[in-house]
Amino acid sequence: MSDTNTSTDFDAIVIGAGNAGLTAATALQRGGANTLLLERHNIPGGCATSFVRGEFEFEVALHQLSGLGTEDKPFIMRKIFGDLGVMDKVEFVQEHELYRMVVKDEFDITLPASWTGIRDVLVENFPAEEAGIKAFMKLCEQVTMESFMGLPMARKMNSEKMLMTNCKNYAEHGLRSAKDVLDEHFENEQLKTLLAAYWCYLGMPPKDINFCDLAVMLYAYGVFKPWHIKGGSQALSSALLESFLEAGGEVRFNCSVDKILTEQSGNKPKVTGIITEFGEEIPCGQIISNASTVVTFGDLLDTPIMPEGISKDFKSRDLGTSAFCLYLGMDKTPEQLGIKNASTFLSSTMNEELMHDTMSTMNPPVATMMTCYNVDDPSFAPPGKSQISLLCLQYGSVWEDVPVEQYAETKYAFAEHLLKQAEEFFPGFRASIEEVEVATPLTMMRYLNTPGGAIYGFQQNPEDGPLHRERYDQVDGLHIAGSWQGMGGFQPTYMVGTSTANAIVKKINKQRAAAQAIQEKDALNTSGVANV
Amino acid sequence: MSNSNELLNNIVGFTEGVARKEEREQSGSDYSKEKWKTKNDIAKLHPKRLQLTVSDIFQDTPSTKTFRLVMDGINDAIVLPPFQAGQYINLYTRIDGVETARPYAISSCPTHRGYYDLTVKLVESGFVTGYLLGDDVKVGQAFTATSPMGTFYHNPLFHGDELVFLAGGSGGAPARSMIESVLNRGLNINFHLIYGNSYENDVIFQDSFRQLADKHENFTLSEVVSRPTEGYDGLTGHLNKDLITKLIGDASTKTFYVCGPTPFNDFCEQQLKELGVENKRIRIECNGPPKKPSCLDGWPEVVDEQDEITVTVKGRGQFVAKTGEPLLNSLERNGYTVENACRSGECSLCRVKVLEGEVFNPPEAMLRKSDKDFGWVHSCVAFPTTDIEILY
Repeated sequence: MSDTNTSTDFDAIVIGAGNAGLTAATALQRGGANTLLLERHNIPGGCATSFVRGEFEFEVALHQLSGLGTEDKPFIMRKIFGDLGVMDKVEFVQEHELYRMVVKDEFDITLPASWTGIRDVLVENFPAEEAGIKAFMKLCEQVTMESFMGLPMARKMNSEKMLMTNCKNYAEHGLRSAKDVLDEHFENEQLKTLLAAYWCYLGMPPKDINFCDLAVMLYAYGVFKPWHIKGGSQALSSALLESFLEAGGEVRFNCSVDKILTEQSGNKPKVTGIITEFGEEIPCGQIISNASTVVTFGDLLDTPIMPEGISKDFKSRDLGTSAFCLYLGMDKTPEQLGIKNASTFLSSTMNEELMHDTMSTMNPPVATMMTCYNVDDPSFAPPGKSQISLLCLQYGSVWEDVPVEQYAETKYAFAEHLLKQAEEFFPGFRASIEEVEVATPLTMMRYLNTPGGAIYGFQQNPEDGPLHRERYDQVDGLHIAGSWQGMGGFQPTYMVGTSTANAIVKKINKQRAAAQAIQEKDALNTSGVANV
Repeated sequence: MSNSNELLNNIVGFTEGVARKEEREQSGSDYSKEKWKTKNDIAKLHPKRLQLTVSDIFQDTPSTKTFRLVMDGINDAIVLPPFQAGQYINLYTRIDGVETARPYAISSCPTHRGYYDLTVKLVESGFVTGYLLGDDVKVGQAFTATSPMGTFYHNPLFHGDELVFLAGGSGGAPARSMIESVLNRGLNINFHLIYGNSYENDVIFQDSFRQLADKHENFTLSEVVSRPTEGYDGLTGHLNKDLITKLIGDASTKTFYVCGPTPFNDFCEQQLKELGVENKRIRIECNGPPKKPSCLDGWPEVVDEQDEITVTVKGRGQFVAKTGEPLLNSLERNGYTVENACRSGECSLCRVKVLEGEVFNPPEAMLRKSDKDFGWVHSCVAFPTTDIEILY
């Protein structure tokens, strides 16, 4: 059999129109690869979507978009979105605060979205810790910069010298636990809790995350600001799809994939196409899966047993957290409700390990996250109203044991816990509800098709970061793009989709150039023969 | 990466991470024992399709039949996916070669896990109700359906426990499910059904509602007939604000469910608003596309509902349709299959993209902001007013 690419209509097939699937498909099509995008739901976006109830269009998943930077100080996502042709199709809304954190009977502090502003607020609230604060923030900045610049360069050159000179801070502190580094810098427990609040964007408590991940989040949000999108993350998903279609891509909604077909090629299987849920076989040599790795390799791949490397990788993984979320349409403005900040972390304890342990139970959550999109963008709800999401992280396994006939009542009973907590911090909250939709980890599972309803992919333990995990390459032509190939969250998934696609485009162009060269050589030979 | 492992060993904590990873490789599960677990877990609550069989047909009134649907066609031993009282399933049919579907509210109680009852009232010149209520559908017939869906149900988080259901005609179907659910589960809820019908001899579940009202203190039934025969001594007329106030007193503290034909829903909504009932206390079940879209605001004056336009489905073909017909219906009549469920503008399963031409979207179309920006419409309630080209 000759090169698989030449015998098919599509250069690439993308399974799933989540963030990574959309950026991959768009980058592929705009890069000249004829691409088919398949999505089991009726709308693009995966997590990055919305739904309508009454007068409200609810944002499903985006809390704070990172990596965009300002127009004056642009950062990487601005370039990526530009390359994908969506900068003129969406409107970004800047947030002015990182977050407000309230721990009952302990503290209530708001961090602004400014690196020096954060320092000032911290010093003002914790004057005795001034030296530690300055040192910690300096270290966050250094580790972030080194992880973006010095480290990739040192790895590329495989140079120990570069590592030890250009990434000194990263080498010394990057892979230490965030808790260790916080403990080393600070005495005050309140300050540590306040600075570690973003752990919930990763799903593991500070003792179990690498310091570099916390450092990058704090620094990136502080310097490059948190952002929303007008119309919600759905607007960006739809803009990416529009760009994909404009470039000539083909999309099919309400069409899931049943099988990824392979043939043995040397010591590895290699993809030859897919079969849709309707039994249609579509040949293709390059497949990008935005589905979870567990579904991709465990369910879809047609090999009789899982490739050995995959099995080994899976054994060393745990499923990451899911979430329980209330989407609330309120008939009052944020001011009337007493909500002054877009992102608020509400907690009844400073013990993050207790918070994390609670995530594996049906016990009332001890920490919730409230996002009120109207604070920075009044258009997020009709005039006089507001939209709020109230979320706690929770593992899906708890919900898998609930008998189906008790599912609805269990869901409402658990939702009561979150409402009760919100009411404690914002009296009168409940009376203003005009619409509410409840999403459990099983809802996440239904819409994301992830095992355990995982929202960030596999659990992010210290040994699950990019230094310890390689790209899945056990099947030729099968690429994983999404939170299961790295980190969860918006920026990481947008980026992994783009980088996966760019590598494939490069490969396809190379193959095309080689094919062209052969053709030209043949033509030359033929004409040569004729001339004799 | 292996080439640089040696390099990474210089990073504090790296080797410990490698050791932990290798240790986990020895002990963990690779998920391969439970193939398709995610898909199967989802299907326990929300299978994409159900294969159902008619196990019984009841003639409720001269215009109405109830179809009892079970999973295996013989008995009700197999349980169906759970639902919340008030939800519907979308029933697929093939009539005269046309594949179409209609959503029907489940009229049985969620505590009966073995069957769904669908109660269908004849709609004048209705394509599907005519077929279902005719002689062709018999016990033993198989149907494909979606699993239960919809947002019209009692939400205990904010609906409270003083509930009033304003039902018109076929709206008695979800009302019965909700009432039985409250009574069978012994919920601490007061439920008042105000049931409007045209004729006193055509009231669905009349006996059953009356018996329940006699038996349960927390369920009150008020029957209202709009076209009574001479000598009828019950309540007559429409469900206007005076009647509502007379029956329930202060309306502002109660939650209202409204379900009936679209004009009935619109009328009730207006009456409730005039009584000062807040938005959040009025829950209305959608009920199909508008019958006369040309009467609605925004319909282009120069277009007549009988005008013919051409619909081009990109890369697949084209056909002629009338502007007054919902796009989904004309697509189905011409052999195009589009996923759909609520057929009332709400669920968004039937989204299609309009590449060229103009489409009228009535208020029923609950479009997302970005759908409007990029030309996506809900085909079940979209009316093409010029030649159009679509993609789906």
